Amino acid sequence: MSTGVLLYCSNTPTYDYHRIAERCVELIKKNLKLEITIVTDAKTFKKFKPLGMINYKLIEPELGNKRNGEQWNQLERAYAYEHSPYDTTILMDCDYFCYTDNLLTYTNIDNDFLIHDKIHDLTGKGAYDFRKDSIIPMLWATVIVFKKTDRAKRIFDMVKYIKQHYQYFCKLYRISFPNFRNDYAFSMAMNQVNGNTQQTFLPGKIPTLPALAKILEVKDTGIVFEYDNKINEIENQDVHLISKEIFNV
Amino acid sequence: MTVGELKQKADLSYDISVAKNNALERSESRQIIAHNEHLFKADAQTICLVKTLSEHKDIFFVLDTNNNPCEIKDPAEFLNKLIERNQETLNAYSQIHETFKRR
Repeated sequence: MSTGVLLYCSNTPTYDYHRIAERCVELIKKNLKLEITIVTDAKTFKKFKPLGMINYKLIEPELGNKRNGEQWNQLERAYAYEHSPYDTTILMDCDYFCYTDNLLTYTNIDNDFLIHDKIHDLTGKGAYDFRKDSIIPMLWATVIVFKKTDRAKRIFDMVKYIKQHYQYFCKLYRISFPNFRNDYAFSMAMNQVNGNTQQTFLPGKIPTLPALAKILEVKDTGIVFEYDNKINEIENQDVHLISKEIFNV
Repeated sequence: MTVGELKQKADLSYDISVAKNNALERSESRQIIAHNEHLFKADAQTICLVKTLSEHKDIFFVLDTNNNPCEIKDPAEFLNKLIERNQETLNAYSQIHETFKRR
């Protein structure tokens, strides 16, 4: 049984995602010690520095999605089931930095599809209360652990279908976010596939640094950030970074 | 104490509170363990439950974090795993907590 990490990485005119992915890969190798596959486009692929044993899968990224007026890719995640060469896959955003081996715990269980339903705002401001933006609880597609089973395939197929008819599903679930967002696509797919009933989720919360937190340093053991004119640091804790400016320096 | 000093103290209390929440969250994330292909939280409640049940039965069922039943055939090993992880996380939390006292 193979286990590995699947990353999607495609540069945009605003951000060099390959630089974020390079750092992400270092941490995966150090802390998870798993095989890695990066799904990327040819233009981004050429910018990667040598990262050692990495599998690359080249695709032509779908364009057209925007967030806050900027190009925002991440439209290929619905194909992760087909793109993954592993029996058990940790599908994660390349801006999720693994400072622990906590994710390995989730690869040794019998659930075939697990996703987070809770988030922890590391600034303490509780910036992620989106409950009123939809009639179903929002899930966080930052980290998904799945196995190659019929049920997992049904969920990904449902995400593809929702992607095709996104505006219809947004109205159905009264989602106020107009552009395609994986978090909502997976929330709706899980809800549909499970017959509108409660799902099983990854325990714990995704530790997240919101965009307003300015990242000052990405260290080998953690992140130094500034928020509210104060310098803070987190150590030995996985973290999802929303602010990407530091990687463009 | 001046208003400026009061604000400084209040800011410090807030910072410590946020840092404490983050440290607790880190501990709780670390307390998740896998056993017999099920996920459990190595917290006081699970430890007490397993300890109590193991005093009455050699094999028993407990619910995992997603309320799925898991048969425990090796209570001693499971309990040991729970206690080890619980103490590992609380030891790490305790070290961070010490830094709060010095602030």
